[in-house]
Amino acid sequence: MTDDEKLFAWLDGELAPEEAAEMDARVAADPELARLAEQHRKLGNRLSAAFDPIARAQVPEQLLAAARPSGHVIDFQAAKRARRIPSFPQWTALAATLAVGIFVGTIVQQRGSTPIEVQGGKIYAAAALNRALDTQLASAPSGDVRIGVTFRDRTGEICRTFTETASSGLACRSNGRWRVNGLFASPEGQASDYRMAGGMDPNLAALMDSTIAGEPFDAAAEKAAKAGGWK
Amino acid sequence: MDQSSSFEDQLMALLPRLRRFAHGLSRNSADADDLTQATIERALRSRDQWQPGTRLDSWSYRIMRNLWIDAARSQSRRAMREAPEEEGLAVGQDPRDAMDAAVDLRRIMSAMSRLPDEQREIVALILVEGFGYREVSEMLGLPIGTVSSRLVRGRTALLAMVGEQ
Repeated sequence: MTDDEKLFAWLDGELAPEEAAEMDARVAADPELARLAEQHRKLGNRLSAAFDPIARAQVPEQLLAAARPSGHVIDFQAAKRARRIPSFPQWTALAATLAVGIFVGTIVQQRGSTPIEVQGGKIYAAAALNRALDTQLASAPSGDVRIGVTFRDRTGEICRTFTETASSGLACRSNGRWRVNGLFASPEGQASDYRMAGGMDPNLAALMDSTIAGEPFDAAAEKAAKAGGWK
Repeated sequence: MDQSSSFEDQLMALLPRLRRFAHGLSRNSADADDLTQATIERALRSRDQWQPGTRLDSWSYRIMRNLWIDAARSQSRRAMREAPEEEGLAVGQDPRDAMDAAVDLRRIMSAMSRLPDEQREIVALILVEGFGYREVSEMLGLPIGTVSSRLVRGRTALLAMVGEQ
């Protein structure tokens, strides 16, 4: 081990106690060595200060979705972002794009009805889903669609989360319609588990967290928003 | 790590750290998240190769590192190596800005992107991710003396680039 290597191993706590004690003494006796050690200690702290916020930050929903393929995640916003010029292997974005198409197809077939419709590359609520979003209050569930949380997003539009037989999702107002911004198909047989736990699909929760401005509506605010035509 | 929790749950719990490591290797945040996503996908496809009871973190880090090396060898690499001009210019600007972690992150990522790959991965694993020399030596399949000497060169070069601020 060179002297430099020894100094750094000492800094990193990698020396055996005896060698470390020896290095303590050498650094204490040598101002030049002490200065070098201090510079590198600061560099280490600076690296931690720069990178650690990433490990504390919310993981982007696109990555959360990628880690839960069994959740059959469909996050249209993430898929859209994934299509932006991929600088990493192109199959990544290609796979994401294909996956969206496949899962939408699956859902539409499974339900036997079409709760969503695609127009101009955007996905809107249709039929029973659209009706529930328009009329249902979280406090008065009826039918197969349950409304969860209503809130305003960062652009000021009203958004509502919903749960269906086999999926849950988020829809936001867009030009007088309910645009579906995320739809998460529950794993087979697990739809009720999420509801029993009183929780939301974690992917939906992450999407909501990244969208919401302020607090969710309480019952009165939800009712008032309905009366105001969700504007 | 709880061995009884599912592979997916464990991988999910690792995502914040994997993202941080990806930032240590990548030129910018967009590349880092692309690398993280590719790592997640590869890990899920290769899950049969992971032995329950062994450390999923080392295994996942190794996948990320290998994907990064593969990308490094691919043709697009030349472009990746050169930090964009604006980021290059940000290095060594007014040191008062160094208090701002986000600004400093850009500077440090830019400086790290100019380290040779074999030094950069070791700096990221030890100084950013906090692995021990022995763990890194096993993860990368390198003698511990090689890890140690690359770490010396890497951190010395990094200090010269970003200075004492």
